[in-house]
Amino acid sequence: MTRHFVRRRPLLSLLLVLLVLLLGWGWQQRVALSAFPDILSAYTAKEYCSCRYVAGLSAPYCQGYVKQYLPISGFVDDTEHKQVTASGLGRTHIAQWLGVREGCRLLP
Amino acid sequence: MFKGVSLLLMLLCSCAVAAQNWPAEQWAPGPPGSGPALAALEDYAFASRDEATRKGIRTDALLVIRDGQLVYERYAGGTTADTPHLTWSVSKSLMAAVLGVAYGEGRFSLQDKVAKFLPAMVPHPEISFADLLHWASGLDWQEDYEYAPLNSSVVAMLYTRGHTDMAGFTAAHPAFGAPGQHFRYSSGDSNLLSAALKNILGAQRYADYPWTALFEPLGIRSAVWERDATGTFVASSYAYMTARDLARIGLLMQRQGRWGERQLLPADWVAFNLQPFAHYQANQDAAVPGGHWWLNRSVDGAPRPWPDAPPDSFAALGHWGQALYVLPAEKLVIVRYADDRDGSYRHNELLKRVQAAFPPQVLP
Repeated sequence: MTRHFVRRRPLLSLLLVLLVLLLGWGWQQRVALSAFPDILSAYTAKEYCSCRYVAGLSAPYCQGYVKQYLPISGFVDDTEHKQVTASGLGRTHIAQWLGVREGCRLLP
Repeated sequence: MFKGVSLLLMLLCSCAVAAQNWPAEQWAPGPPGSGPALAALEDYAFASRDEATRKGIRTDALLVIRDGQLVYERYAGGTTADTPHLTWSVSKSLMAAVLGVAYGEGRFSLQDKVAKFLPAMVPHPEISFADLLHWASGLDWQEDYEYAPLNSSVVAMLYTRGHTDMAGFTAAHPAFGAPGQHFRYSSGDSNLLSAALKNILGAQRYADYPWTALFEPLGIRSAVWERDATGTFVASSYAYMTARDLARIGLLMQRQGRWGERQLLPADWVAFNLQPFAHYQANQDAAVPGGHWWLNRSVDGAPRPWPDAPPDSFAALGHWGQALYVLPAEKLVIVRYADDRDGSYRHNELLKRVQAAFPPQVLP
């Protein structure tokens, strides 16, 4: 039965096998995959906050410093509260400057 | 007569010690370099920057201390003498120095099991402080920043699943081998050390400890050390200070843990830092791991990592080209801050050119 199907539809069979493998891999990597989209915005918020408020470098410099290949869809630097919000890949993260020794930290 | 001579020799020696240069509030200037050797150094370190492609060697700061005196410094790309620059993984060696002070106070021994102080490590009861300092915990950690972000333990620790409790995140990794047997560079190992120190000291004392134990005695005023949400210093990645301040750590290490009259780090601690990890195999990494420092030693007959620097040279190294080099044989301490986004920078090339630009002084 199976052999018959494979003979009749070799291309479709191959695609089905690949799909099963992909789903299996996705299931195995589900934790890493679900966290993956967070990297871009969390990295941008944290490293911009530290660049600007710890190292004290200029806003244009820090914008260039955190630039990645993937685009950021939303970015707010609240200079009054030293709080940096970045959005990308559908996720948003905030980094907060906490003090002269503590520097910046991602909010949970 | 003989007694008189040896007394005179002793006096001369103690004068030499007294005459040793140490920085006060600022570094004292020493004889500056000049000529084609200095030009060759600057051509290499400060090639023109392309901000669009971010390719090539992009030095933010280069500072050279010879025998306790500042002989060269130059800044670029927005960084100045007052910028507390991100050190990335140089932080790991800074934590080793902080731990050294605690070790000198008798708070732990190298063979102590970390689980004794850190409950999160109970599932890994055999991992010792020495194992973590060698990056040999045996935990199945993936250290890769950019090329495998999906499975990078370090990216997950800093930005996603691990950022609130980095030591807890690390301790939740399974083991791939027995502790103390395999070198596998791990930012997680460094943060386990940091969290263990917190429990050793208590959270309140710990929060000021890098300053009271290390930075203040050395006159370091610019240091910032970011923490995770549990208050643990991110020992793997997030210490900041000026190039001038980082050089003070280098001079402390060049002089075997002594700062002026005070033995701040015990001599046996520094010896451990500078002893190659016995199970390291040649070419596993860019330099030879000691106790949370990188060594220029030959292993298994392979060439030294930096053939043009003396074999007793060592360094603290960080992502994107951050480096604190110590060349005790040449009495040189070199700080380099950078924003290298590709792999074109070579430690050996810089060390070769610094040594050529600042050759040993000939005594009159």
